[in-house]
Amino acid sequence: MNRTPRLVAAATASTLTLALALTGCGRSDEGGSTAEGSTEITDGPASGTVEVWAMGTEGELLPERAEQFEADNPEVTVNVTPVPWESSTEKINTAIATGEVPDVMQVGTTLVSGFVELGGLAPTPEEIAPEAFFPGAWDTTVVDGTSYGVPWYVESRVLYYRKDLAEKEGLVAPKTWADLTDFAAGLQDAGAEHGIALQTRGNSTALMYLPFYWQAGGEIMDDAGEFTLDNDAQVEALEYYSSFMRDGLAPPVLVEEEKVQNFVDGDLGSFVSGPWERANLLTTAGDDFADSFGVVPLPSDEATASFIGGSNLGVLADAENPDAAWKFVQFATDPATQVDWFEISNDLPAVQESWTDPTLADDDAVAVYEGVLETARSTPAIPTWAEIEHEIDLIIEQVIAGDLSPEDASKQIQDAATSIGTGLD
Amino acid sequence: MTVSARRRRTGLAAWGFALPFTVLFAVFMLVPVASSLYMAFTDMHGADLRTPWAVNFVGFDNFVEALTDPKFQQAAGNTLYFVGVAMPLTLALALLLAVLLNSGLVWFRSVFRVGFYAPVVTSIVAVAVVWRFLLQPDFGLVNSGLGVLGIDGPRWLTDEVWAMPSLIVMATWRNVGYSMVILLAGLQGIPRDVYEASAIDGAGPVRQFRSITVPLLRPTLLFCAVITGIGYLQFFEEPFVMTQGGPLGATNSVAYEVFNQFGFGNYGLSAAMSYILFVAVVVLSYLQFRLLRTEK
Repeated sequence: MNRTPRLVAAATASTLTLALALTGCGRSDEGGSTAEGSTEITDGPASGTVEVWAMGTEGELLPERAEQFEADNPEVTVNVTPVPWESSTEKINTAIATGEVPDVMQVGTTLVSGFVELGGLAPTPEEIAPEAFFPGAWDTTVVDGTSYGVPWYVESRVLYYRKDLAEKEGLVAPKTWADLTDFAAGLQDAGAEHGIALQTRGNSTALMYLPFYWQAGGEIMDDAGEFTLDNDAQVEALEYYSSFMRDGLAPPVLVEEEKVQNFVDGDLGSFVSGPWERANLLTTAGDDFADSFGVVPLPSDEATASFIGGSNLGVLADAENPDAAWKFVQFATDPATQVDWFEISNDLPAVQESWTDPTLADDDAVAVYEGVLETARSTPAIPTWAEIEHEIDLIIEQVIAGDLSPEDASKQIQDAATSIGTGLD
Repeated sequence: MTVSARRRRTGLAAWGFALPFTVLFAVFMLVPVASSLYMAFTDMHGADLRTPWAVNFVGFDNFVEALTDPKFQQAAGNTLYFVGVAMPLTLALALLLAVLLNSGLVWFRSVFRVGFYAPVVTSIVAVAVVWRFLLQPDFGLVNSGLGVLGIDGPRWLTDEVWAMPSLIVMATWRNVGYSMVILLAGLQGIPRDVYEASAIDGAGPVRQFRSITVPLLRPTLLFCAVITGIGYLQFFEEPFVMTQGGPLGATNSVAYEVFNQFGFGNYGLSAAMSYILFVAVVVLSYLQFRLLRTEK
């Protein structure tokens, strides 16, 4: 007798689960994220509360900048929540899935498509003009033809080199691929153990390699959204990239942690990195070291190209106060605000007009980035990109090790990308 | 009536005491286990987070995809290599240390016990920093030491052949202390008079070890083997902090591949991979029980 009720309960429960499973499952035919008619930003000051999530340093420094927005709009309160980069993706995914979202959030340029796929981000209103931003930066907001969010700050890759070593051999900054090879060899003649350092393996190897592919005239995808990765440009770029390691101009296996120290010691002549590296070098070697190194754009081949990264500001699809949120985004991407923000955070402005301000234009260490950013490009905003990038990382490593010919590698990259797909349906 | 009423009350009280655990277990263990099993048979992706029921059942497709994926096969091979070498090595070393600590070295026993156990409780991040210094090719302690002997040490963590052995040594060093402490406790549970009796019968230390220590330690050894085996099959932290699965995938493990695929949003595939790993854990544990069970 004792057992019956429990059995009944168990049977009911399992039937319920089964029913739920049978009725609930199966994909619906309608497409995932279709842009709902574009939102509009109203005139007049913002009001209410704007919840902002920002990561890392930006999260710590943004409240200072938000005070200005509150002063301009007396009715508004901005709450900034700093989120650590490491846990940001999971945290945002959870927030989007449960609908408990902030109004505005900082979105790393490579993460946009993932959040759009989840239906988390609102389309950008027409009031915000794409022309104001670096084209490569604006591209990072566009998923499947619709823009979600606005570029906030950018970074790009340049060549850091030891000025003293270059002067010793009478070397000038490299302009072409052949120049860069000679440049690296010359730095070695001047006493460096390796003329240049390029990433050889691990996460983001592809991001260091892809500028060379773009320079060779390659494109990751065509206008129809098909991958176009197996071509002469890929073979040439892989051949060129791996030639540095093969010919002893670059460490065959680069240990990232030793790069800065070797450069400071004069054992390494040059390397490719982003704007943050300047602070690293000066912390390691002292402020006097600023005179010992120079920064120049990457060389060109068929085209000029570098990688553009950074962060966008996005308004959430479920935001409670979208109007004030977009006003906050407009404020943050105003040319004058962007210059102020550069002074606070050292983040490079995504708005082109800000670069005419003397604060940036007169600073040689910064001004070099303007030209680079004009032609810098981003990786495709597709949800599967992280996985494709991982495959490319692994393939480049094999080419450098000499286990795979550039021709076969080119085919493998294309096969890997097509088998993973764009994830956009 | 009174008897059954009292029994019901005791039953209720028992459930009351068990409730906190039962609820926590159900919410944090049963639900995730059930949902991951569900995921393994669907084509769930990152984009389905908001509508987890609106996915298609794909039968065993995920399992087929995992098993035919060369990267997964390599990861599975690496995991077997790691378990096959590191587990016997850890157990043998732990047993050796436990016997040494149990017999002599009485004065320093607690010092050694702390010394060997410290790596077990140290954070992997700190361990990684120290080991990267040790294994650094140009000025690391290991290669400097080898240099004194005139040996040109390899690039431990970035060499395809040496990366895995480096991680095996590191994992063994990290985990040997745990088994050692358990085995030491087991050794102290073996009655002294058995050894005395065997000594009178003329058994030397080696014979004693083979005929007394090992057989009487079997249940403890089984415990250590199962715990170590389960931990080692889920080999993840060492490659994650030291090599990112490289060079050329030489230290990629099944657990690392699961982590990667989950990060790429391939929830169905990574859940299927986890269940393949789960089956491997069950098989290994079963084999250990068969091999090390106490004869009746």
